[in-house]
Amino acid sequence: MLKLILNRLAFMVVAGLLLLTFLFFLFHAIPGDPARLIAGDSAPEALVESIRQAYGLDQPLVTQYTTYMRRVLQGDFGLSNFSRQPVLQIVGPRLLNTAKLAGWSMLLAMSVSLLLGSLSAMYWDRPLDRGITAFSLAGICTPIFVTGILGIYFFGVHLRWLPIGGMSTWKHYIMPVMTLGLAQAAGFTRMVRACMIDALGRDFITTARSKGVPERTIVFKHGLRNALLPIITFFGLGLGHTLGGAAVAESIFNWPGLGRLMVDSILTRDLPLTQGCIFFFAMVFILVNLMVDLLYRWADPRLAND
Amino acid sequence: MMDILRRYARDRVGLFFGIMLLAFYFVAITAQWITPQDPFETNLSEGLEPPSAAHWLGTDQFGRDTLSRVILATQVTARITTISLLFSLLIGVPIGMIVGYIGGLLDAVVMRITDMLLIFPTIMIAIIIVVVVGPSEHGVVIALGLSQLPNFIRIARSAALSVRRELYVEAAVAAGASWPDILLRHVLHNISSPIIVKSTLALPGFVLGASSLSYLGLGVQPPTPEWGQMLHEAKDFLTSAPHLIIGPAIALSLFVLSANMTGDSLNESLDPKLKGRRIKRIVPRLAPWFFPRFWSRPISP
Repeated sequence: MLKLILNRLAFMVVAGLLLLTFLFFLFHAIPGDPARLIAGDSAPEALVESIRQAYGLDQPLVTQYTTYMRRVLQGDFGLSNFSRQPVLQIVGPRLLNTAKLAGWSMLLAMSVSLLLGSLSAMYWDRPLDRGITAFSLAGICTPIFVTGILGIYFFGVHLRWLPIGGMSTWKHYIMPVMTLGLAQAAGFTRMVRACMIDALGRDFITTARSKGVPERTIVFKHGLRNALLPIITFFGLGLGHTLGGAAVAESIFNWPGLGRLMVDSILTRDLPLTQGCIFFFAMVFILVNLMVDLLYRWADPRLAND
Repeated sequence: MMDILRRYARDRVGLFFGIMLLAFYFVAITAQWITPQDPFETNLSEGLEPPSAAHWLGTDQFGRDTLSRVILATQVTARITTISLLFSLLIGVPIGMIVGYIGGLLDAVVMRITDMLLIFPTIMIAIIIVVVVGPSEHGVVIALGLSQLPNFIRIARSAALSVRRELYVEAAVAAGASWPDILLRHVLHNISSPIIVKSTLALPGFVLGASSLSYLGLGVQPPTPEWGQMLHEAKDFLTSAPHLIIGPAIALSLFVLSANMTGDSLNESLDPKLKGRRIKRIVPRLAPWFFPRFWSRPISP
C-alpha cells in the first residue's frame, strides 16, 4: 500500500511538471503582447519596452522557460497583472472557499442520494420510485445556473429569506450548497438506485428474506453494504464533478472561490492569475483521482494485491 | 441503419422526445422567418415590460422582444452544437479508426493521452481552450469540439476494434487492398451507424457546455442571444423583471431533456439488450461535462 501511495505521489509530481510545461507553452501561444497587457492599452511604447525587459520577455524562449520553472518550483507564480499581489497569495484563500462550498455540497448530495436511491430501489417500479426518478431526471436536465437563478428569485428576491451572494454567515451557505448539492444528488440518486437494485436482486438477499430478517435490515445492512463499492467510486469522483460545477455556482452566488477567480481572470486577461488558477485546479483533480483510487482499493481488498 | 430506426419508432416515449428535438431544429432553421419581432431592435421606452399580447415573454432591458430572442437563441445553440459535433466527428473518428485498426504502440500512446484528458472535467478543458482562442462563438465551437474529442476517439476506436477481425476485412487484405482503402470502404462503412447513434448521446453535453460557457461570459458575446447568456443578463433584473428567465430556462431544459431521451432511445434501438436499463446509462453521459469519466474504464494499477 505504502509503495502504491509513493508511486502515485511520484506520478503526481511528474504530472505537475508536465502540466506547468504545457501551461507555459500554451500561454505563449496566446495572441497578443504580454508586456502590453501589463502596461495597459494607452501606455507609451517606452514603458512597454521597459516592462518587457524587466519581465525577461525579450529573452529567448528556452531561457524564459527555465527561469519560469525555477521560480515556480520556489513557489513563485508571479504577480497578478491587476492587483500586483503574488498569485499564490490570491489563490490560496480562494481554494479554501471552493473547498468549503464543494465539501458541504458533497455531504448534502451523498446523504440525499443514499436515502432517495435506497427508497427508490426498495419501492422499485412503484409511484414513489417513479417520482424520485422524475425528480432526478429533472435535476440532470436542468443546468445549475437555471436552478440557481430560480432559487435567488424565490428565496432571495421574492421571499427575502436568504442572502443572494457572498459567504459571510451560515445563511449565505444555504442556497449555493443546496443548488450545487441537489444537482449532484440528482445524478448520484440514479447511480445509487441502479446499484441498489442490482444488490437487492442477489441470492443472499433472498436467503435473508427467507430467514425472516426484517426488511429494513435487509436493505440497509445487506443491500447497501454490497452496493457500496461502486457507490464509493462514484461519490469520490463526484467530488471532482462538484469542483468543476463550482466554477458556475460561484459565478451565480458571488462566492469568492477559485472557479470564479479563474473566470474573472480570463475576462480581464490577467494571464499570470489564470495560469495559477488552472494549475491549482488541475492539481486538485489529479489529487482527487489519486484519492479515489486509493479509497477504492481500501474498500475492495481484492484489488489491493494487484 | 433502417432497422435501428424501425426499432426506435416503436419506443413511444423516445419518439415523442425525438419529435420535440426535431421541432427545436425546425425552429432553429426557420428562426429568421418566425420571430415575431426583430430580436436586435432596441426600444428603450419599452424596456423590462412584463408579458403582454404584443410581447409574449415581455421585453429585456433594451426593450428587445424576449420571445424573438429565445427563438434566435435556438438557432445559435443548434448551430454551435451541430458544428462542434461535426468537428469532433471529423477529427475524432479518423484518429480513433486508425489507431483501432492499426493497434500496437500508436494505439497505446493515443489511449494513454485520452485517459489523461478524461481525468479533467470537460468544462475545465473547454475553459482552458477559451483562454487561448478567446471568448466568442468560434471559441465555443473549438472549445467544445476539442474537449469532447477524447470521447469520440474512444467511440471510433472501439467500433474499429470490433470489425478489424471480421471476415470481410480479412478478405480485403487478402485481395491486396491498401489500408486506406480498407479503412474507408470496409471499416468506416460498417462502423458509421453505431458512431452516428452514439454521437447523439453527446449532444446534451454539447448544449450544456455551450450554455455554461456563455453564462460565464466566455462564450457567445452580446448582442447575439444564447440561452445561457440571456440568463446571465436576466439575473441583474430579477427584482424588476423576473419574467426574463422564463423563456431561456424552459427552452434550455427542454432541449437538453429531449436530446437526452432521444439519444437514449436511439441507443436502445442500436442494442436491444440495453432495454430497460435507461436509468443506469443517462448519468455517465451527462457527467463528463463537469466530471471525469473514470468509471467507464477499469481503474489502472
